[in-house]
Amino acid sequence: MAAVLDNTIETNNFALNADSLCRRLSESASVSDVTLQMRRGEVLGLLGLNGAGKTTTLRMLSGVLVPDSGSVSINGFSMHDQPLQARAQLGYLPDQPPVYDDLRVHEYLTLAGKIRGLRSNRLSLQQSLVTEQCMLGDVNQKRIGTLSKGYKQRVGLAQAMIHQPALLLLDEPSNGLDPQQLDSMRTLIATIAQTSAVILSTHLLSEAQAICNRVAIIHEGKLVTDQASDGENLEHIFQGAIR
Amino acid sequence: MIATIAGLESRRLFRSAHTWVMAALLAALFGFLFLKQLESFLSLQSALAAQDHPIGLTGFMSVRYLEPLALAFTLVAPLFAMRSFSDEYRQQTFALWQSSPVSASSLVLGKFIGIFAALTLLILLCAGMLLIMKAFVDIDLPLLLSATLGLMLCTATCTACGVYFSTLTQHSLIAIVASIALLLFSWLLGSANFASLPIQFIRELSIPNHLRGFFQGYIQTRDIAFFLLATGLFLGLSIIKIDSMRHTGQ
Repeated sequence: MAAVLDNTIETNNFALNADSLCRRLSESASVSDVTLQMRRGEVLGLLGLNGAGKTTTLRMLSGVLVPDSGSVSINGFSMHDQPLQARAQLGYLPDQPPVYDDLRVHEYLTLAGKIRGLRSNRLSLQQSLVTEQCMLGDVNQKRIGTLSKGYKQRVGLAQAMIHQPALLLLDEPSNGLDPQQLDSMRTLIATIAQTSAVILSTHLLSEAQAICNRVAIIHEGKLVTDQASDGENLEHIFQGAIR
Repeated sequence: MIATIAGLESRRLFRSAHTWVMAALLAALFGFLFLKQLESFLSLQSALAAQDHPIGLTGFMSVRYLEPLALAFTLVAPLFAMRSFSDEYRQQTFALWQSSPVSASSLVLGKFIGIFAALTLLILLCAGMLLIMKAFVDIDLPLLLSATLGLMLCTATCTACGVYFSTLTQHSLIAIVASIALLLFSWLLGSANFASLPIQFIRELSIPNHLRGFFQGYIQTRDIAFFLLATGLFLGLSIIKIDSMRHTGQ
């Protein structure tokens, strides 16, 4: 358990090291040979058309789905050999935020912290921090079921980052956010990226261009591009990759 | 970790309106059955005392009041357990557990304990009604404890069965129908009269056959083992199912 609680950064480790991930879900949907390495400070935009394999890739990286072949390690912990330790190093926000409608926001965040091994003072500290960062102070005492989609998305984001993970996986994080919230989300992701590696999947090229310092494009289950996003026209890169 | 999950499950159960509706209906059933059987005891008291082996209030109420409640708990336990995993699948909250450092065994045990703790309160309520009589008459405490233990073991098995069927589907209704059908089949096995040898063995799977002794004050190791093994089997199957979901993706 001590190892699970230990979020110490080993500087020589990649925050994420995914090697040749393959997963076949059906005749039409599969992901093959996805290799990704990330260090803290990087924000990777995972781009692709609908059904390209973005969500399947994120599910494999988060440990929700076991790949048919290939390996994933998070902050040096193998997802196959040390799954609990590996999952303690990551935060995951699926496309549908995994929130309980009948819990209040603060209760849900307490739960999210506890299941990631946070206790007493550190739990209170982190809970206050993410509540402030995700601007949830006004709704902290409200039941999640009464909140708007944008607030639920922020609660989902808060649960994913409450334990300061080495790797943060965000599946379409801008879903349901208004322009002002979108702007706050971008600022927040930039803040998180100072201490974590962040992967966000999106189909909005403008969003990737605004937030990410690296982009990877998945097309028909294959990683076709993985390069730094240096202000070059992303539309041009994207069209070239999926042609 | 298990305590955190159990606490969450209990808290969510008690926040649900349907839990309170079921608890209220059960309490009404306890009260009605208790008064009816108490009235029967008072009318039969002199005849019961004249027998070679006189039956006291506790012995009478254990068989006529607590034993029928075992069937009520057999039906109610899956109702409490039906949402444990089905709701997580349907509301897509299960990803929280799958991406967290929580093992399948901790998750299943936590949910089971949370639901069982809530049901235990109801069991103590119905046994407590009998205990209240201690203020007025002598109560056979060991017999009452034996009957309460039987109720708890039976409820634990039925809860585990409900949890298992809940892991199989996102539809709570299917989970509850399947678990109640299986448990009622086990109850019916107890009253069936089969002659052939293999079927005799199947009768060993009958819940009432293993429960009867507890209400008569006979605690047998084989009966305790039956309930513990059945509970363990359903929880084990639930853990296997939850673990396998990472592989099947469903």
